[in-house]
Amino acid sequence: METAEARIARAREALAGVQRRVGTTRDRWEAPTLPLTPLLDQVLPQGLRRGQVIAVAGSTSLMLALAAAASEAGSWTAAVGMPALGVVAAARRGLDLARLALVPHPGAQAAATAGACVDGMDVVLLGPRLALSEADRRRLASRARERGTVILAEGAWTGAHTTLTAVGSRWHGLGAGDGRLRGRELTVRIEERRGGTARLVTLPIEGAALGVAAAGVRAPARRGASAPAASLRALGGAA
Amino acid sequence: MSVITVVRRAVLWVPDWPVVAAMTEAGLGADVPAAVLHGRGLIAVSAAARSAGVRRGSTRRLAQRACPELAILPHDEGRDSRLFEAVAAAAEQAVSGVEISRPGLMIIPADGAARFHGSEEALAEALVTAVAEHAGIECAVGAADGLLAAVLAARSSEVVPAGASREYLAPAPVDSLALAAMERAQRQEVERLASVLTRLGIVTLGDLAALPFADVLARFGPVGVWAHRLASGEDLAPPVLRRTEEDIAVEHVFEDPAERIEQLVHVAKEAAAALDRALLDAGMRCGRVRITARTEKGQELERVWRTDVGTRAGAFARHMTDRVRWQLEGWLSGTAGGPGAAHRPGVGPAGGVPEPSPLVSLGLVAEDVVPLGAEQAYLWGGVSGADSRAHRALERVQGLLGLEGVLAVAEQGGRSPRDRAHLAPWGQEAPPARAIAHPWPGRIPDPPPATVPPAARPALVLDAGGAPVTISRRLAVSASPTWVRIEADPSDERAQAANRHPSSGHVGRVEGPVWDRPRPVESWAGPWPVSERWWSEDASRSAYLQVALRDGEDTVTAVLLAYGGGEWRLEAVYD
Repeated sequence: METAEARIARAREALAGVQRRVGTTRDRWEAPTLPLTPLLDQVLPQGLRRGQVIAVAGSTSLMLALAAAASEAGSWTAAVGMPALGVVAAARRGLDLARLALVPHPGAQAAATAGACVDGMDVVLLGPRLALSEADRRRLASRARERGTVILAEGAWTGAHTTLTAVGSRWHGLGAGDGRLRGRELTVRIEERRGGTARLVTLPIEGAALGVAAAGVRAPARRGASAPAASLRALGGAA
Repeated sequence: MSVITVVRRAVLWVPDWPVVAAMTEAGLGADVPAAVLHGRGLIAVSAAARSAGVRRGSTRRLAQRACPELAILPHDEGRDSRLFEAVAAAAEQAVSGVEISRPGLMIIPADGAARFHGSEEALAEALVTAVAEHAGIECAVGAADGLLAAVLAARSSEVVPAGASREYLAPAPVDSLALAAMERAQRQEVERLASVLTRLGIVTLGDLAALPFADVLARFGPVGVWAHRLASGEDLAPPVLRRTEEDIAVEHVFEDPAERIEQLVHVAKEAAAALDRALLDAGMRCGRVRITARTEKGQELERVWRTDVGTRAGAFARHMTDRVRWQLEGWLSGTAGGPGAAHRPGVGPAGGVPEPSPLVSLGLVAEDVVPLGAEQAYLWGGVSGADSRAHRALERVQGLLGLEGVLAVAEQGGRSPRDRAHLAPWGQEAPPARAIAHPWPGRIPDPPPATVPPAARPALVLDAGGAPVTISRRLAVSASPTWVRIEADPSDERAQAANRHPSSGHVGRVEGPVWDRPRPVESWAGPWPVSERWWSEDASRSAYLQVALRDGEDTVTAVLLAYGGGEWRLEAVYD
């Protein structure tokens, strides 16, 4: 018959083992992070942790926003397999173009290219159609964990720390032949690998919250964003 | 107010330098009447033309009426400064260091040089002789205290005694202030100031110098201070002497003209190693390397590469070997350049890609050389470790995929999102072709789209009845856009199958684009006309629409569509 003390000691040991294996809350505090725009605080409350893989589906703007603040603060960024990346949009989000390299068509060398970029850069954006096998992806993820690189992958990624999916998007500012695109609200579903239920967050990703030119642009953008929003609601009601 | 001690200086001035440089390059004799035209007016006139009655500032037609045999030469600032280098080098035969203020004018600190030559007159004589002998150009030299007095003295080849500058300047008109302005913007500002002063009744520099300094500052601001100090015979800054270190160059002449890449690999390695040795021997590192080659047909090819490998001992030779090999391969196969092919300024973008031709010689020139160990970390720390790591990674990828595999991006001027991105191979110096600062009327308004396909994809825009929407020359939209179909991806099996299905309106497989499913338009804006380069062959005329497409319950995708030549294209996706 075990004594109560022995049972408690065994339970503590098991708990410590689990903590060692999955990481504890203290580790979470200690993990170094890269800067993140305040816009995305709700999406990644723990910050952009080095060595993470974040899968982003459905929004290139969201990927750029994730990489922007780090790039502005001096990190190097590579975009592999994204030939259609909007350069001006990247600059407006705050990425420093002098520290951004594009590898638009890595072709059959995708694994080697992505590996070299993970070794040398701080943030690596991976396009959706790279010739990467599951094994390659696992290897990249562990290399990123070792080197402290953040991988932002477009599309699905098995075993990603966080999966962000753009599930809803609304634009303001367009009418029937008049106006122009002004503001956008993006609804993102956030799934963490560590479990927990998926969360939905709605972000004002375009318009008033745009990082760089915000001081000059803010006032007209907000005015424009509020006025057509009403007409959109009216339209929704009619339908 | 800090007073900078007045420096005694000699000024060497070549009259009408732009026209002298143009005539030298065109191979015209000094007695030919010639003028340089820029914009609408002549900016420089040769002595022969002036005696025939041609004046600076007059239009081409007036000038040709005065002198029908006048040779009119184009304006080229690059040529002016390039050729002035020869004059500066000639002047350096007589003195040890010169400051080139602008092409046509250089400043020499006179104290030491005059002591060396015996007197200022002797110095002036030595300078004029050296320039005439070595550069074959006539010039005038003057000396005085202070910048403006020295410039004016050079125009009349005088030596103003020490301490007499203020009296020497006093009778000169205020217009002559512009002679001391070294840049065009500054010159315009000074000319405006002079015209205001003249209208206020301040006609000579003596009048200006007599005004209280504080009042001049209050009324005219910094440019007024500048003018007041110059008019008082003072200096603004001591002369900055030109760097006299020479670029380090390596030349390799092929025994037989090289036309195969295999011949070049070895040569590239040798040349890079030789340059590395030369740099090490001189104790220097360099910021840029200029690769030049001459083809059998006598064509000169050159390209500048940025290099940041000075901190990495031993890596330089290997790094340069790859660069040289890629560049030579490009030249040999006639595909040099790629995006942002910028050849020497004289050839211009229209000079384009050279004909593939065997190479007879190869040269490497290290530019921006600085002594080894002079480079520093960034002011706020965090050099360079991360930077060199990133550079190494990108070089490795370039080694895997080739030169064009890694692109550096920059923003440039333009109207459509695709035009506003500038791509160039990583490490190659290719300045953006179009300035962002220009106004670009009709530019697609912000926000910029996050996805810009490298080539526009065909699209269909349909009205409520399924008929194509068109935009007339007067920008009338034929009907409100209701459906949009974009060309399906070739790998999209579902769209391919739907296209083969009889319900798509035809039987079996048809040629032509396969359209994706129709997506309803929620709202749209435009059309915005963009008519570009109508004067050239690649003229384009299109109208842009921003369209919000409803893709789901609460998902709206915004796209940028362009209509031109009767067809719709998907230009960008705001995703």
